[in-house]
Amino acid sequence: MSTSEVVQPHRTKTLRRPVGYAPRRWKRALPLYFMLLPTLAYLMVLTYYPLVHAVVISMQDFNLIGNRPFVGLKNYENVLSDPNFWGDFRNTLVLGVSILTIGFVAPIVIALSLNEVLQTWLKRSVQMVIYLPHLFSWVVVGGLWIQLLAPAGGLVNAVLAVFGVSPVQFMSDPQVARWVIILVSVWKDVGFNCIIYLAGIVGINPSLYESARVDGANRWQEMRHITLPGLARTMQVVGLLSIMGVLRIFDQIFVMRNAVIEPKVNVLMTYVYDEGFQQMNIGQATASALLILVFTLVLTIFTRRLIRYDT
Amino acid sequence: MRHRWTSGRVIFAGLNIVFLLLIASTMIIPLWNAVAVSLSSNFGSMASGILMWPRHFSFSGYRTIWTVLDLWQPFENSVIVSVIGTLLHVLLCAMAGYALAQPELPGRRVMITLILISMMIPFESIMIPFYVTIQELGLLNTLVALILTGLVSGFSILLMRNFFQSIPQEIMESARMDGAGHFRIFFRMCLPLSTAGLATVALIEFVGRWNNLLATVLLISDSSKETLQVALNGMVNQGSSTSSGDLVTNNVKMAGIIIAIVPLVFVYPFAQKYFVKGIFLGGNKE
Repeated sequence: MSTSEVVQPHRTKTLRRPVGYAPRRWKRALPLYFMLLPTLAYLMVLTYYPLVHAVVISMQDFNLIGNRPFVGLKNYENVLSDPNFWGDFRNTLVLGVSILTIGFVAPIVIALSLNEVLQTWLKRSVQMVIYLPHLFSWVVVGGLWIQLLAPAGGLVNAVLAVFGVSPVQFMSDPQVARWVIILVSVWKDVGFNCIIYLAGIVGINPSLYESARVDGANRWQEMRHITLPGLARTMQVVGLLSIMGVLRIFDQIFVMRNAVIEPKVNVLMTYVYDEGFQQMNIGQATASALLILVFTLVLTIFTRRLIRYDT
Repeated sequence: MRHRWTSGRVIFAGLNIVFLLLIASTMIIPLWNAVAVSLSSNFGSMASGILMWPRHFSFSGYRTIWTVLDLWQPFENSVIVSVIGTLLHVLLCAMAGYALAQPELPGRRVMITLILISMMIPFESIMIPFYVTIQELGLLNTLVALILTGLVSGFSILLMRNFFQSIPQEIMESARMDGAGHFRIFFRMCLPLSTAGLATVALIEFVGRWNNLLATVLLISDSSKETLQVALNGMVNQGSSTSSGDLVTNNVKMAGIIIAIVPLVFVYPFAQKYFVKGIFLGGNKE
């Protein structure tokens, strides 16, 4: 019975159901509901309830203990007239667009370059090494780079000193720190995205290359006209994941920021955290989080439409 | 060879390899440097200069961070939260995935839609009401709260569902004919046939939990319940002195970072294969 439903779901719907079918179906499904219970409970209590609660909190002068008077849309007004919010919004755009652009091109270049390597052992080793940072937490990655870039005793400045360059204040000059944030972010994920592209390259039909070679195409032409177009779908997936990721940046900034560079590197999610848990403006922080969520959803739907993710 | 080796191609191949080695060295040198610093003496690790080999070899960095700064406590908490959290996550997501793979389940559409929508809500954007909910449940400052955070995820459920759907229906059908119930089919047939899916979910979840920062930052204020990442962040990245006022030397910091990496090293050989599998099966990272 269920097999035919899989094969022809549209036909079973038009059939008249036998008497007593529905209760039996429900009874048989009982263990399945039991299996779904923890998931549904989690979604209700720890995803949808907080979401609905957020709407309420965003219209309250919210206190963790004590009364919580309703203030209408005042929190939203406060967010939209807060210069810090707009500053962090700008930072998110600047960091996000830079990370997306460099982070999109870099893994493709490296994947194509790796694809040209004929020594399998070399290819395999490079793959394994560049993939490593993706596994590390931001505390580890941030810690490593803060140490490497330290003005005194850091490896980078020690190397620069060999070339006679005076120490660069990487983490205390806001403009430089911004670039550090961008490049370290790209550095962390480049290997992972690169491996996704390599998997995509493996999936390209080999007969395309054969016929190209029969037509006398050189390797550059093969890359340009077969490999790159063949990766279009992978690029869409990676691009979409990256866009969603950029709006969620939190850990990296939380770990790598300091008082000097904060105005130039704080992002929207750190705004929510700081406003809510440092300033204790919980209502206003929640209002900002909801605005960001709406913005994220609109952007997600827009990009999905744009690249027709589901086709 | 597919193409003739002209001198131009030889030069290109050489430059190409140099380029890749440069990229790879940006990953190896930081780690190598960290190991070298972590194995230096307190004094040696603070001296400037290029340090690629331990200066005055010593384990004092590891000793200090483990016993003086008590990193063992957060390490233990992280192990508890990551291991129990991952096991529960895999079990619950597999059960949900199995149920949602059954075509005859009434209300399947609605539940899948609920899951898909939940995947579009980043955890960061509901961090405040999430905190409030945990407070209402009376679970602030408990490891249970950390295990609960992300107990199931749409990504894992849909990934497991895809796996179960790829199992031939005839096998399950014949088991059902023999009178086996859903639980029996799930535990005796589906789980053993889906080890690759289970491994993918378990690996991604374990690494995610081990590396998680935000949940502890939000929900834990009692330092005895802190997880490794938060404790380490306090010691390594936020200022150079501990609450007791001791100077945290570079060898201590790097020793902490190496300790945080160690569990991932065990996972690493499997990670590449299963992480990419996850991307393609789930079509989504979160």
